[in-house]
Formats: sequence, structure tokens, C-alpha cells
Amino acid sequence: MKYLLEIVIYIIALVISLIIVVKSADVFVDNLVDIGSALGISQIILGVTASAIGTSLPEFGSALIATLSGSVDIGVGTVIGSNIWNIAGILGISATVAGVIRTNKQGLTRDWMMTLITGLILLFFMFFGDINWIASIVMITVYCFYLWLLIKAERKNKQETVVDEKDRDFRSMDQISPEKKSINKKTIGFTILGLLGLIVGCRILVFSAVELASIAGIPEMIMGLFTLAIGTSIPELVVTLSSAMKGLHDLSIGTVLGSNTFNILIGIGIPALVMSVPVEPLSLSFDAPVMIFVTILLMVLIRTGKMKLNRIGGIILIATYISYAILRIFIFS
Amino acid sequence: MYEKILVATMGEYMDEIIEHTLNILTDKPVEIIGVYVVETSVPFLTPKKVKEMMGTELRSKGEEILDSLAQEFQSPSHYMVNFRRVLLEGNPADEIVNLAEKEEVDLIILGTGKNIVDKKLLGSVSEKVVHSAPCTILLVRTS
Repeated sequence: MKYLLEIVIYIIALVISLIIVVKSADVFVDNLVDIGSALGISQIILGVTASAIGTSLPEFGSALIATLSGSVDIGVGTVIGSNIWNIAGILGISATVAGVIRTNKQGLTRDWMMTLITGLILLFFMFFGDINWIASIVMITVYCFYLWLLIKAERKNKQETVVDEKDRDFRSMDQISPEKKSINKKTIGFTILGLLGLIVGCRILVFSAVELASIAGIPEMIMGLFTLAIGTSIPELVVTLSSAMKGLHDLSIGTVLGSNTFNILIGIGIPALVMSVPVEPLSLSFDAPVMIFVTILLMVLIRTGKMKLNRIGGIILIATYISYAILRIFIFS
Repeated sequence: MYEKILVATMGEYMDEIIEHTLNILTDKPVEIIGVYVVETSVPFLTPKKVKEMMGTELRSKGEEILDSLAQEFQSPSHYMVNFRRVLLEGNPADEIVNLAEKEEVDLIILGTGKNIVDKKLLGSVSEKVVHSAPCTILLVRTS
């Protein structure tokens, strides 16, 4: 009875802390963009960075806090688990519900290639044992390069839009010009509040997950790979699903691939800068290869669907995720 | 026969909707209101910046769709048509019905073509409009 009560309390703490983490990440990024805007940073840079990190902060925060507090398996598990769930789970559900997710060839090739390269970089460093500061510097550098690619693509896109709008004489230039606001105390206050909420929320989240794992006798890696990975990916799920249903296909697939790149390069890259991140053998032999497999499977399904991820593709992805979860939880764990 | 027609589209079935609208026109003057509704609702925990981005993308998509309608209905061959464009935000079915009531239109034209699985998973704007429309409706069946 006592154990049951403890489990219920930790589950409640897990759910509440997840909501705190997700909302805090949102408040933090939102106000940080306002500060960046007031400081005169380009709207393109702010927009690209905010959308790239906005949905991934919960994974990053949880992975960082877990690693720093000694629960390394939860940290690495959250990152790899999120990446598998993002593609096989979230894109699978979104394509099944929306019926189809169309892709833009140029953007898809860039983001997919980056996601694949990122997975291979992680696998490469995992072969050498612990992920250390050298891997960290490579990962952070690669992420900066990816951000530069995104900013370049967005700049080109905006320039083309201006030309189109001028032709149609429809909108004015000021709609895409940087909008400079002043920094007020409220913005700074909310930024700090968001950051604090993120730190405290992630700490409670990791603590609840560790305690739940201990009481229920579940390995910490499994908690990271499934519970925290799926929980911290709620923003990706709501954004990907709702944008697929509204027909905003680029946003839908871009959110998932951008998040996967961020999760590894920053979610593991930053903690590895502070301390050496140990690698569990099963992560090297099973989880990371599955992550790369679902990334390749996604492209195969899109190619066979004539550059669309259709409902059958979505069902195949969901079936792949369920198979992985069953194998990982009941057979390999 | 119809003096004021509301043509509602979410970007799908555009060609079929335009074709059927043109088919019912006569030489008599007619006012056509093209409407696109930006669906602003997002699930709980959607990041604010992403919500704003979705709104911007959908408004831009809506303007493009209304441009296409305007291009078709304002062509010289359709001299009898007085075309107006309306971009609204909210629940598509509610907004279409409200606009039809406010403008006192004689006919609403919209497309329908979702299969039963899509209807269950995504819902159907046309079905909701059918249940509460204040006037006659022409549902264009599409493949």
C-alpha cells in the first residue's frame, strides 16, 4: 500500500513537472526572443533559433540536469528515446491522423541529411566509449553549421517573398523588417522565471523518474528512453500533429527533424562539455542503431510515397515503434 | 436565381468548387463572396512562437487561395460577377455560418470529399455547416 501511494505521488509529480517544464521553456524562449529583438538581433536569426530550440528545450533541460545529477542513463536515454519517438511515434501518429504529410524536397533533404549525419556522429563517438569534450566540441560546431544553413535558407526564402509581394503590391516591406522593441522589466522577469521554471521543473522531473524507477524496479535507461523521452516530446507532438492537420507540412516534418538534430548535438553535446558522458553497451548496439534505422526508414517511406508520408507509412512507423518498445522493455532490458 | 453566393474553401477542391460555381451562374448580376477561415485553435502546450508562426503561415495560405478565387471570378468573361474576398479567423464551420447569416447569402458552396476514416479523424467542416446553415447549400462532391 505504501509503495502504491509513493508510485501515485511520483506519477503526479512527473506529470505536473512535465507541464511546468514545457510551459517554462515556452515562456523562456518567447521572452528571450523579445530581448534579442530589442537588442537588434535579426528577426530571421531569432525566428530560426527560437523554432529550432523552442520545442527541444524540455529534452535538453532534462538530459542536462539528469547527467549533472549523476543519472547519466536517464540523460542519454531521454535524448535517444526522444529521437526514436519523434520519428516513429510522432510522425507515425501525425501521418496516420492527417492522412498525408507532404514534403518540400529541398528542405527535407537538408534536414534529413543533417539528422542522419548527427546520428552517425553520435554512433561514431559512442564506439570510442565515453562521450568526452572532443565529441562535444565537434557536436556543437556541427550544430552551429546547421543553424547557419537554416538562417541562410530562411534569408533566401524571405528575399523571394519580398520580390513576390512587391509584384503583387500586396504587403509592405515593414512586415519582414526587424521590429525593434524596448526591453522592459516584465520581459526580463519572465525570462528569468521561465529559466527557473525550466531548471526546477527538470529537477523534479528527473527526481520523480529516478524514484519511480527505483520503486518499480525499472532500469533508469528505460525510464529515460520511454517515460521522459515521450513526456518531454509533448511540444513536438502537439506542433507536428496540429500542423499536419492544418496542412502546414513543412512545419510538421521540420519540427521533428530539427528537434532530433538539436537533441543529439546540444542535448548530449553540452553535458559532454562539462563531464564525460558514459555509454551503456545496449545503447551502442541497439538504441542508437534503431534511431538511425527509423531515420532511414522515414526517407524510404517518403520516397515510396512520392515525396509524401502517407497513412500506410504512418502505420508502419507506429508498428516499428511498438516493436522497438516491446523488444527493448521485455527482451533486451 | 441566386443573387448572393458564399464560396468557402480551405484550399482543397478549388478547381471543382470554381467549376460548379460557374456552372450555376446566369447572365444576371451576382455577388460572390470568397471566404477562407484561418483555424487558430491549437492544442494545449503548443509553444506561443509556433502558434504565431502557424497563424502567419495560414493567413498567407488563405490570401493565396483568395487570390486564386479573385483571379477566376474577376476575369472579363465573368462580367456579371461582383467578387469580394473575406479572410476570417476562428472555427471554420462557425465562421462560415456566421458570415452567411450576416451577409444574408442565398447559397453556400463548399467542397466535400473526405473518406470515412478522414471524417472520423479530422472532422468535416461541410457536415457541420450543413447542420446549421441559414440558406441553401451546394456541396461539391470531389474525388
